[in-house]
Amino acid sequence: MSFLNNAAAKQSVRLLRHELKRGELTIVFLALVLAVATVFSLTGFSNQIKSALIIQSSSFIAADRVLETSRKIDPLIIQKSTTLNLQHVQQIVMSSMVFAANDDQKADPSTMLLASLTATSDLYPLRGELLVSTTAEQLVNKQSQLVHAPNKNEVWVDKKVLTNLKVKLGEHLEIGIKKFVIAGVIQQLPDNSFSIFSAGPKIILNITDIYATDLIQPASRIGYKYLFAGDNKDIEQFSTWIKPQLNNTQRFYGIKSRQNALAKVLNRAEKYLSLASMLGIVLAAVAVAVGARRYSHRHQVNVAVFKAMGASRAYVSNLYLLHWSLLSIAGILVGLIAGYFIQFFGLLAMAEYLPNTVTNNLIEPLFIAIVTGLICAVAFAISPLIELFNTSPLAVVRSVKQTKPKLISWQQVPAFSALLGLLMMFSGDWKLSLILLASGLIIVVILLLFARLMMSLGRGVGSKAGQAWQLALANLKRNASENSVQLVSFTIAIQLLLLLLVVRNELLADWQAQLPETAANRFLINISKSQVDEVKKFTQQNNLVASAVYPVIPGRLTAVNNEKISNVNDPSVAQNSSQKSSLKESTLKENAIKENSAVDNNKANITRRGIGRELNLTWQDLLPEKNKLIAGKWWQASDSNAQVSIEEKLAQRLDIKLGDKLTFQLGSDIFDVEVTSIRTVNWQSMQPNFYMIFNQQVLQDFPATFIASLFVPELQQQKFSSFIAKYPTITVLDVDAMINQLRKVIKQVSIAIEFILILVVLAGSLVLVAQVQATMEERQRNLAILRTLGARGVLLRNSVLYEFIALGVMAGFLASCAMEVAVYFLQTKVFAMAASFHFKFWLLGMGSGGLFVGLIGLFSCWRLLTKTALHRHVV
Amino acid sequence: MNIKSETILKVNKLSKSVTLDDKQLTILHPLDLEVNSAETLAIVGSSGSGKTTLLSLLAGLDLPSSGEVYLKEQPLHQFNEEQRSQIRAKHVGFIFQQFLLINSLTALENVMLPAELANQKNAKTLALQLLSDVGLSERSDHFPNQLSGGEQQRVAIARAFITQPDVLFADEPTGNLDSQTGEHIADLLFNLNQQFGTTLVLVTHDHKLAHRCQRQIELAAGRLVTATVVEPQTNVVML
Ligand SMILES: Nc1ncnc2c1ncn2[C@@H]1O[C@H](COP(=O)(O)OP(=O)(O)O)[C@@H](O)[C@H]1O
Ligand SMILES: [Mg+2]
Repeated sequence: MSFLNNAAAKQSVRLLRHELKRGELTIVFLALVLAVATVFSLTGFSNQIKSALIIQSSSFIAADRVLETSRKIDPLIIQKSTTLNLQHVQQIVMSSMVFAANDDQKADPSTMLLASLTATSDLYPLRGELLVSTTAEQLVNKQSQLVHAPNKNEVWVDKKVLTNLKVKLGEHLEIGIKKFVIAGVIQQLPDNSFSIFSAGPKIILNITDIYATDLIQPASRIGYKYLFAGDNKDIEQFSTWIKPQLNNTQRFYGIKSRQNALAKVLNRAEKYLSLASMLGIVLAAVAVAVGARRYSHRHQVNVAVFKAMGASRAYVSNLYLLHWSLLSIAGILVGLIAGYFIQFFGLLAMAEYLPNTVTNNLIEPLFIAIVTGLICAVAFAISPLIELFNTSPLAVVRSVKQTKPKLISWQQVPAFSALLGLLMMFSGDWKLSLILLASGLIIVVILLLFARLMMSLGRGVGSKAGQAWQLALANLKRNASENSVQLVSFTIAIQLLLLLLVVRNELLADWQAQLPETAANRFLINISKSQVDEVKKFTQQNNLVASAVYPVIPGRLTAVNNEKISNVNDPSVAQNSSQKSSLKESTLKENAIKENSAVDNNKANITRRGIGRELNLTWQDLLPEKNKLIAGKWWQASDSNAQVSIEEKLAQRLDIKLGDKLTFQLGSDIFDVEVTSIRTVNWQSMQPNFYMIFNQQVLQDFPATFIASLFVPELQQQKFSSFIAKYPTITVLDVDAMINQLRKVIKQVSIAIEFILILVVLAGSLVLVAQVQATMEERQRNLAILRTLGARGVLLRNSVLYEFIALGVMAGFLASCAMEVAVYFLQTKVFAMAASFHFKFWLLGMGSGGLFVGLIGLFSCWRLLTKTALHRHVV
Repeated sequence: MNIKSETILKVNKLSKSVTLDDKQLTILHPLDLEVNSAETLAIVGSSGSGKTTLLSLLAGLDLPSSGEVYLKEQPLHQFNEEQRSQIRAKHVGFIFQQFLLINSLTALENVMLPAELANQKNAKTLALQLLSDVGLSERSDHFPNQLSGGEQQRVAIARAFITQPDVLFADEPTGNLDSQTGEHIADLLFNLNQQFGTTLVLVTHDHKLAHRCQRQIELAAGRLVTATVVEPQTNVVML
């Protein structure tokens, strides 16, 4: 390369070599390395985590996406999924009576049972594990093996089927007109948490057998389920393709579109990871920008010397372009290597929580990281470099006129565009990025104003303080414009760190609260009135944490204020409500509202919105735990008028207000009731939850079954089993597996969050260091002058220390204010949490700000403050 | 070497004004000046009298507000920045009060720099020679911050002479040094100057130093106050 042979190139390389060795480029180099490493590891890492989480949690629905419908679907849909390389499973779901079929027992009515049938194609489950005990021995020892759909003529059954039908493994049962061998007992269902709510114990058969049962008749109520799984990209493409063509009878969902505890955890975690990553990028980019500016300023005098000695502008440009490019390339390369190891070790640390199905795809993070590095290296350096090239040779005799940094000016256009580009590339959401950047700019302007104000206020305070303080504050004031820029970058760095810390704590606390140690792991359904007292007695005697026992009475809302509401006979809804028991609605909010909104869209203009299906109604004297009144008043047990408390979201959806009169139909009875309160319900809490709660007066005379949830510790498992064995009609729902999985996911997410927090803290610290360094030359000159004017060493050192401490504390204070605003916004708008105030973190912000910035400042000036060094500088 | 008394610098009605706070401020009033080849000229005057301003105009670092500057018959006042750079590369050397070495280059590399800029082949040999001329052969691998002020200025002097410039501009070369070191530096400077037959334009407020030049002009408040005084005696180098 001829270019490399010329003098500029030689000098450039020489300069770079020495400067790197002498540590003069460390900060800007580190900034670049960190920007690239952060982006690389965060992209790689969070991609991994996201897909790991999704794969793992997809086992809650045994697939990536499910299409549920009451009719057969267009074969085109299956075709499309196949062309997209998706795997699919077809299922037919229905309820049916099944009979023990061991020769002579056939007519005995005690040997029949209403079971929930799932006829599935072979690949089920596509995600998660179906565990079955296939031998009597395994069954006794609670061992199991991994299986898919049963073979032809065989079934997997719930244990309850064996006890209720008095049959054994290997014996027969009859479904419809076909006889099956009981080939296994289900120990774990991958889509347990959802399907278990269906009526009766579960029986899984092969879909090729279902027609032979003769159960599929034109009038029979059956549901079709299509499970899909595949690469994320293909799944997304499939989803986009299918969504517009869905009709009322079809529901298409993935794990995250379900309103359940896990979905919420996942959504929040994902948002947090993206947010943290974006903030990490912003911080690293700011560090590069600050570093580049300092780089340019430091080299200005050299450029002036070069030019005075006759170097042309082209020569200087070549020299420094090469210099900067080499530096950037080195930074990017080192960043990539560092990033690779960071994400590698991060994943290693989490290995036990990650399923090994996740493939390590590094192409995307690699690409994003390189582009990030290039954007940082080019966009943030462009205006400082141009300024550098334009340095006048006159600067050799006159001190270099350093342009004051202006945060808001046209020069920053490339930098801001770059930031926007980075955010967009990372989030894939231009609107969010633009909002982030715009609000960032507004915050910067406000902060600048505040910074000026605080520094002038500081002076007044200072005059009453000691000499060193006076000097420190006078310095702050004198360099107000420079310092306010510095203050703003300190503030932003501290604010972003506080922000992430606070949100992290809130998230973890929220998750913790959601799943306390004693979160209910058993639901008891179908408790009869006479059994209620027995159940209560049992829980009391054994000190078990249990929910209240709720009566459940199915009923229909027919009118609001005498205005009839639409009860669209949507087949999918009808099927849902008839097949699934009360708990389905109550514990996991389910999609009642969503289903309904689809219906609403069509019918809204005709009649008032309705629910379209039966609701599970209950009555209570007291407001249930984890429910919060947001309007109205809870009733007295003694109130004799008919009252109902309605869940907030449903009230909004149906446009129901306090004082409205609701008409319900329960069987043939029709009655009116007044809305006296509106509640929020934590649908994620492991307890029965209800849309409508009445006072006892209204419902006490209707026949009800009861439900309750309770926590049974490992040690009392045995006792609980023997208790429950006495009441075969009570259905027990074991959600231990689901809770454990949820805990595992939360653990994963927490680790991921900690990990990313560390990276972001690093980026933030680098901003602080770079910023202190950037103004060091200026400060050195001032110190030298003060020193020659006879100021004492201790005084100078203290004044520097105090100046930085003051800066740090101010920054901490401003950061806390800004953090509080941002957290409020995030909590209420992004994470859908309750807003809160975080005084602790104000102290942390100001304390650590003062300490950290003070220390960096002191260390950076240390050499300068010792006598000999000072002397050297004056000379 | 270059004994012919040709005019190397010629200045006609040269003046410089700057605008400060919307006010026109003349920092150098029109003046005429001629400097002969191999001549040594001292520009004296109190601080703020315009010495550095004049020097930067003569060296083509800055452009005058009016008037003409010819360096080796080239009209600097008509040249743009790039053209003046070329002239400087060919004919001009500098020594500054703050030494202005490149901090991250070694003494040797600093000295080589102008030669490399001028694309001279034997930059390293020349630089080593000059370093030994200024008595710093041992320190050629040291960085400026490892050298004392006097040593740094010696490196700067070596750097100034490496391209054998026609004119050497020195702005207060001893201003940042104690008097003993300053004297030593001055000796070196005049010594090398004589050896290379360079024209020297030296700005100083130190009359002792000024007296070592063949001619002095004095500035006060931007005006030439003393007519040029030609010192009769030749320069005696004292080591
Ligand atoms: N660019 C400028 N803007 C404003 N004033 C200037 C500028 N350059 C020089 N001056 C002023 O002109 C006067 C002469 O400066 P200078 O030539 O540096 O003096 P000297 O070198 O003799 O000390 C000084 O008062 C200085 O402040
Ligand atoms: Mg001067």
